[in-house]
Amino acid sequence: MLTVRDLTKHYGPLVALADVSFSLQPGEFFGLLGPNGAGKTTFMSLIAGLRSADSGEILLQGERFHPEQIKQRTRIGYVPQDLALYADLTAEENLRLFGRLYGLSGSLLRERVAEGLRAAQLETRRHDQVKIYSGGMRRRLNIVAAVLHRPQLLLCDEPTVGVDPQSRNAIFEFVEKLHAEGTTIVYSTHYMEEATRLCSRIGIIDHGKLLALGTLDELLDQLPFAEQIRIARNDATAAQVAAFSEFGNVVATDEAYVLRPRTGLHLSEFFAAMERHALPYRYFTVTRPTLENVFLHRTGKSLRDA
Amino acid sequence: MRTILILVGSEFRRFLRDKTGLSLTFLVPVVLIYIFGHVFGVSGDGPAGIPLAAVSETGAPVAGAITDALRREKTFKVITTGEQAKGAKPLTEMQVRELMRAGSLRFALIFPPDTQSDARFGLKVKFLNNPRNEIETQTVRGLLEKTIFTSAPQAFLASLQKRAANSIGQANLDQFNRSLAESIAKAFGGEADQIYAQLRSGAIPSGASAGSPAGASFIESLIKIDAEQVSGAQVKSPMATRSVGGWAMMFLLFSLSAAATSLFDEKKAGLFQRLLSAPVRRTQILWSKYLFGTLVGLVQLGTLFLAGHLLFGIDITSNFGNLFLICLAASTACVAFGMLLAAVAPTSAAASGLGTFLILTMSAIGGAWFPTSFMPEFIQHLSKLTIVYWSIEGFIQVLWANCTTRELLPTLGILFGIAAVVNAFSIWRFNHGHIFD
Repeated sequence: MLTVRDLTKHYGPLVALADVSFSLQPGEFFGLLGPNGAGKTTFMSLIAGLRSADSGEILLQGERFHPEQIKQRTRIGYVPQDLALYADLTAEENLRLFGRLYGLSGSLLRERVAEGLRAAQLETRRHDQVKIYSGGMRRRLNIVAAVLHRPQLLLCDEPTVGVDPQSRNAIFEFVEKLHAEGTTIVYSTHYMEEATRLCSRIGIIDHGKLLALGTLDELLDQLPFAEQIRIARNDATAAQVAAFSEFGNVVATDEAYVLRPRTGLHLSEFFAAMERHALPYRYFTVTRPTLENVFLHRTGKSLRDA
Repeated sequence: MRTILILVGSEFRRFLRDKTGLSLTFLVPVVLIYIFGHVFGVSGDGPAGIPLAAVSETGAPVAGAITDALRREKTFKVITTGEQAKGAKPLTEMQVRELMRAGSLRFALIFPPDTQSDARFGLKVKFLNNPRNEIETQTVRGLLEKTIFTSAPQAFLASLQKRAANSIGQANLDQFNRSLAESIAKAFGGEADQIYAQLRSGAIPSGASAGSPAGASFIESLIKIDAEQVSGAQVKSPMATRSVGGWAMMFLLFSLSAAATSLFDEKKAGLFQRLLSAPVRRTQILWSKYLFGTLVGLVQLGTLFLAGHLLFGIDITSNFGNLFLICLAASTACVAFGMLLAAVAPTSAAASGLGTFLILTMSAIGGAWFPTSFMPEFIQHLSKLTIVYWSIEGFIQVLWANCTTRELLPTLGILFGIAAVVNAFSIWRFNHGHIFD
């Protein structure tokens, strides 16, 4: 569906994207995970045809993508990070406008606008000006406006920024439905929870470089540990931090110590030691590593700190 | 108190970093004060370089003397020949009338063949005017009369004395002067001997100086200025017809500049990203803005002229086609100006500040508020670089002079030309700038 080869973009001396290459199959839900300033929006804008790459190429369904070729743009839907809507128009007027720009008209346009309003749960507010909508309503409309023409590839650039949890779930459900209908989606985010929940394949990007690429399992398999142990933080465990460190790397958070076991460690060895220190099992939770661990492992810094 | 001082310090820091605020606070008032100062004579200069044709159809030396006196007045730029080139033929009254009808000239002084006749004692001149601006016309007339009243009597009395001496002999002339002095002293006051001495020397009798009512009355009786309005006599509501164009232009510039600078708001909202990811080109966005602005401008001008018609009786129907054309040209030029602001300014606030400065300046020097002839000559040259000047010219041509489309073509060409050049530059800037990033 989409192939990018050696995509590079500079802004003056700043390298925004450096030799990014990968391919997407039709129907994939691809997540681009990275901190702010990693190059996600630049990547999206190149694919959407808003900017030109300094080098590299983009193939859309095997054809080289030329942004200036208007026809190619109709295959793509772009959900910008900003709420790109006319605030003084109603939801319906916005959708009609964007639908018409994509060449829709007549009954097909009316049908798509009605579907869009339904999907965004804005049917009853269709005649209200967008400026009086809540942030979540605008976000939903922002996505719907990009899919009226049924694009084969949907680019969502951090579509949940500043959205409350309820609206975020509604957005998740909406994009999952689009994916289920066969739309290929590229979804950028700096929330690992979103990438974990939504994406079948994830690319981790930082400083313009694609650091890792694969399914969630493939990415986690790249870690030197398969589980991590979360240790409740209290007076009893605080006294034993040195003991924990014998079994791997310990990271202290506000609420817990997180132990990433060293390679080859059997958890039974750890728990036997804890028994000797008279620490009850209820202080310990064995969890699977997360994308955060992958990011930390790859960059040496936390995703949130990056 | 400390808190207040800290906050005041912060306000100053922010204010000094706000280039737009600084320019509106200091630069705009200084420029406008300078212009107003010249217009209202604060600088003591007054109007300068107003073109005035002087046509002599008489051999009387008084015509040359008055023309020379007018040349010495900086208020007037005296034109006597067709091309203003060496050896060019002197202007005729017919040529002057044509120039005035075409709007190339607004004032002319004609010395007809009977400027000085043997039949009567006095001077007769014609003052042709095309009073496209009432203030300017009144000012010119006043200054013209002053110049003639102060310089002509000397010239024509001396001439008259000389001619009379040749015709009737010095002895008879002395006798005549003596009788005349006694008559003047009797009618207007003064010493007969003193008046006699002045008459002999060709000077104005002191008892009849222009400074006294009697003197003024005396001079007025000697000099007859026939004023004739060459163009615009048919205009029903002269004052409103003259001023509506200037004010309309200022408001048009404000509204269209605001419309153009909305590009910044759309950029900020991310709308360009959405539009440009759709099958929409940058140039299509710009042209849509341009077309929208032009149509809004047309409707706005139409509304203002309609209001002028309904409220003040301005005639907008008899030359409607040309009025439409000049409104269209003015609108396109104003939208181009707005687009230029959006193209060169880095932010909406900067565009707005720059726009306010330029619009007020263009309105002031372009003739929207007062005649351009009241300003220093270099500003008069600058005014011809403004949209306001050429738009007002066009409106006056259409509404005042009832011009034909052919006569309007140069003005239309200039306005459309400005629009084309400015627009080409703006589009280039937009395509190479950051507005669409």
